[in-house]
Amino acid sequence: MSKLKLLSIILSICLISLVAFGAQAQDEPVSLRFTVWIGPGPAMDMLNGIAADYIAEHPNVSISFDTVTFSEYTSQLVLQLAGSNPPDGGWILENTAPQFVQSGVITDLMPTLMAYPDYNFEDLEESALGLWLDGEALYGLPFSTSPFLIIYNADAFEAAGLESPNELAARGEWTWEALAAAAKAIKDSQGIYGFENADGTVYAEGFWSTMFPIMRAYGGGAWDAEGNCLMNSPESVAGVQLYHDMVFVDGSAVPPGEAATFAGGQAAMRIGQISRVAQLDGATFAWDLAPMPDGPAGSSSVIGQAALAVFRNSPNQEVALDFIAFLTNEANSETMSQFFPPARSTVLGSDTFLNSNTRLTPEQMMLVVDGIATGVVLPSSPNYSQINLQTRALFDELWFPDADIQGVMNGACEMIAPLLGN
Amino acid sequence: MLPHLSNKQRETLWGYLFIAPQTIGFLLLIVVPLLTIFVFSTEDRNLLTGQVVPVGLENFRVILQEDVMFRRVLTNTLTFTAGVVPLNIALALFLASLLSQKLRGITIFRVLFFSPVVTSAVAWAIVWRFMLQGDQGTVNQVLQLVGVEGPNWLRRPEWAMFSVIVTLVIKNVGLNTIILLSALTNLPNEYREAAHVDGATRWQVFRKITLPLLAPTLLFVTVITVIGSLKVFDHIMLMTAGGPANATMVLVYYIYYQAFQFFETGYASALAVILFVIALGLTIGQWLLRGRAYDE
Repeated sequence: MSKLKLLSIILSICLISLVAFGAQAQDEPVSLRFTVWIGPGPAMDMLNGIAADYIAEHPNVSISFDTVTFSEYTSQLVLQLAGSNPPDGGWILENTAPQFVQSGVITDLMPTLMAYPDYNFEDLEESALGLWLDGEALYGLPFSTSPFLIIYNADAFEAAGLESPNELAARGEWTWEALAAAAKAIKDSQGIYGFENADGTVYAEGFWSTMFPIMRAYGGGAWDAEGNCLMNSPESVAGVQLYHDMVFVDGSAVPPGEAATFAGGQAAMRIGQISRVAQLDGATFAWDLAPMPDGPAGSSSVIGQAALAVFRNSPNQEVALDFIAFLTNEANSETMSQFFPPARSTVLGSDTFLNSNTRLTPEQMMLVVDGIATGVVLPSSPNYSQINLQTRALFDELWFPDADIQGVMNGACEMIAPLLGN
Repeated sequence: MLPHLSNKQRETLWGYLFIAPQTIGFLLLIVVPLLTIFVFSTEDRNLLTGQVVPVGLENFRVILQEDVMFRRVLTNTLTFTAGVVPLNIALALFLASLLSQKLRGITIFRVLFFSPVVTSAVAWAIVWRFMLQGDQGTVNQVLQLVGVEGPNWLRRPEWAMFSVIVTLVIKNVGLNTIILLSALTNLPNEYREAAHVDGATRWQVFRKITLPLLAPTLLFVTVITVIGSLKVFDHIMLMTAGGPANATMVLVYYIYYQAFQFFETGYASALAVILFVIALGLTIGQWLLRGRAYDE
């Protein structure tokens, strides 16, 4: 009898401690770390705000966003992942998407998103998910699908007596040729450059952000999904020729090795996404946004994408997945949309989205909606890093007055053929 | 304490204890990573996927037989070294001779030539990149004043290497100058005075007396300059990022690319081993020369 009593006491102690331990396990402090490429500022404040909302519901969780420089982002992230203290999740840029998806270091988001209450997964635009899907698995959630636009100095256009890009666009006459003509007129009349390439990177790591839209407008491109190289087609070459003439014939585009910027007032137009508008806070001139110009083959709209991912070796995968679902649910997507246009059709169509960015008018935000509708995502490949290095050295040969554009592009296609075949 | 040890043994033990912190640090931070590189170089290692496959000497075979880029990179590295070393040492010798004069205010000039050495390499490269811009750059604007139209220094393959060599030499020449200067000032004066009395010209004194006396210091300076230029990285990364058209892609930058852009750490380690062998070979060669210099 006393034996039985003892046994029951022991059992109940075990049971109680088990329950207590289970509860403790659930409330065990979890600290999540995400890598991002933005620094302190309004967008970071917004992310921290959403994180604070999540923490209010889950007091045991703490969340931090680690800034990694954009140009070093992928290599730093991979180093951190290989180290002993990997981040739980992070942003991934479109051009390295296939590399990460195939590497096996990312966790499938699909089960979490499907089970998340009121997530409304169907609302996500299917075309935007393409890069991140592998069969039924979803390895990244594109939280930012941001089209490239033309940002222009309205004062410079007025001083040159030119019609604004939007007036031309309204008549369907906003083409790359019209852009080149305007850039030349501004250069000739005011001595400033007419055009700055995307973030001044076209001569270095950012070739595609500037050249892909122009090539696309002329009917060319980088490479297709089957691994065919498109950059030496007559259409692609015509696109490069247009920009080349702007640099070396008209002298209207910022040339290689020079640091003239749009924000500094030394160039009258630039290619950029709405997140770049924040750089214009102290600008001494009036500026506006215009759509990307058309070309002989139609639209040149191009989208830069960034996705959220959870890493497989994170010790807190479950919590990280749950937080990503929270961060990208309908309500929070709306909050994020002022900086990062989401791939959610209900958000893009809403008044909240059109009025979300205090620096931009609803009309300007409509350009984002249109850009997403007509845009294609920047080129990407599982071998993007290698392709980028090899072509970059060749593309350097484009930036001389007497460059053989067709020859360089043929060389580039030949060089990357084995890398595309993968 | 430790009664079974003799005095001598005790002394030895204390000696080892004193050098232990340095030795342990050296083993952990230098020797172990160095040996690890040799192991990594025989593996197909990917940093991103975490895959590791032993492949023996395959990496070396690919580098030496198939990697077209490696040949380019090796040529660039040797060109860079062949440019930096003579220029740096000749200039350092010239400056040291000038600065060894006993003049009023000579210290100001010594400080002036040494100051780039203590300047941040990053600031140095960034400022030079601005000064070497195409039309807007200071260098070309100055050249324009005398009627010369300068090239786009860092964007033309035929000028980029020249530009990075010259800017690096200007930055580093002060260190070699100081080393040679201290050697010069410590040279015994008798030989030179005797030569003067015998009617030798200034050049003869320099060539036949000063230079041979300086030989050990010159060899030391050459060794560190050669190794320094084989290892150049930050200057290239900030000035040209290996471009244009790979004209300034040197070995260490290529290693960085393989390891941290392509994540091929095994292949990068094999490249690092090759760099190690080259640097070791050159150093041993110079060491042997040094022996000969002493014999003379």
